Amino acid sequence: MVTFLNVKVQDGVWLVLMVLTLGNAVIAESADPSLFVTMIIATSVALKGRLVLERFMELRNAHPYIRVSMNLYFFVLPLMIITVYLFPEVIADMTRL
Amino acid sequence: MININTITNRETAGFGDQCPLIPQKDGRIPGNGAVWVGIYAEMTEFALMFLFYFVAKVQYLELFDQGPLKLNTLAGTLNTLALLTSSYCVAKAMACVRMSRLEAAVRWLWGTIACALFYLLVKTLEYQWNTERGIEPDTNLFFTVYYYMTFNHFLHVAWGGGAILWVIFQLKRGAYTADNHEGMEAIACYWHMIDLVWIIIFPLLYVLR
Repeated sequence: MVTFLNVKVQDGVWLVLMVLTLGNAVIAESADPSLFVTMIIATSVALKGRLVLERFMELRNAHPYIRVSMNLYFFVLPLMIITVYLFPEVIADMTRL
Repeated sequence: MININTITNRETAGFGDQCPLIPQKDGRIPGNGAVWVGIYAEMTEFALMFLFYFVAKVQYLELFDQGPLKLNTLAGTLNTLALLTSSYCVAKAMACVRMSRLEAAVRWLWGTIACALFYLLVKTLEYQWNTERGIEPDTNLFFTVYYYMTFNHFLHVAWGGGAILWVIFQLKRGAYTADNHEGMEAIACYWHMIDLVWIIIFPLLYVLR
């Protein structure tokens, strides 16, 4: 159920999502690769995903299986982004045919 | 009867967490079970693509370091803004339907269609821009992954837009009400899934190096 209160929250969430996206674009155009930059991007992915899941898709009221599994997606993917940046050679060795 | 359009904190005061106007954790399945089978299937498909991206990246670090620099970041950013806004429009439309504001819901969904068309146009122009610079699917592995992932997503936006048009049609013929809108909610969830996937694709292909 979405209410008047939620509707106002959705406006704020949209604004945050716009700012995060523009921030990512600035990073893409200006910053050299580094662990710090990678972590900012990974955090941004996690945050944007969670905001859409919880506030637009309204999973915060949904069945826990759906809520947890979808949120897990946006925990594992950012973690993989950081892991691949930190240990590319280890993963390359593990995945070489 | 309370007009929900004019509800203020005064109306919700005194109810605490049990106020009927504030969402409760009811453990429900948004939309219906069938759409979640589809959503999980799609998310798995894209997860495999992301997995392939990561494996390809560690094997060809230099290609994946240089690739994003050759792409049109402005196009990627505009498309991200468009899809996030489209999701916002869908969420607003859902809120309007629950408040029996059906005409407003239709207007918000036309906003979603406008965002989807904008996305499709920008993506088409981006592919053209790439071609003019000699960037093709077989240029190197980074661009193969880029084209496979983005074109796949492009198709999802196209048919997702078709589903939103269907919702508009159904709304206009009065098929959804404040109490009965399961089908609309299912399609709304599917549309949000399309947005969620792009939230990951954008940094992987355009930002991360």
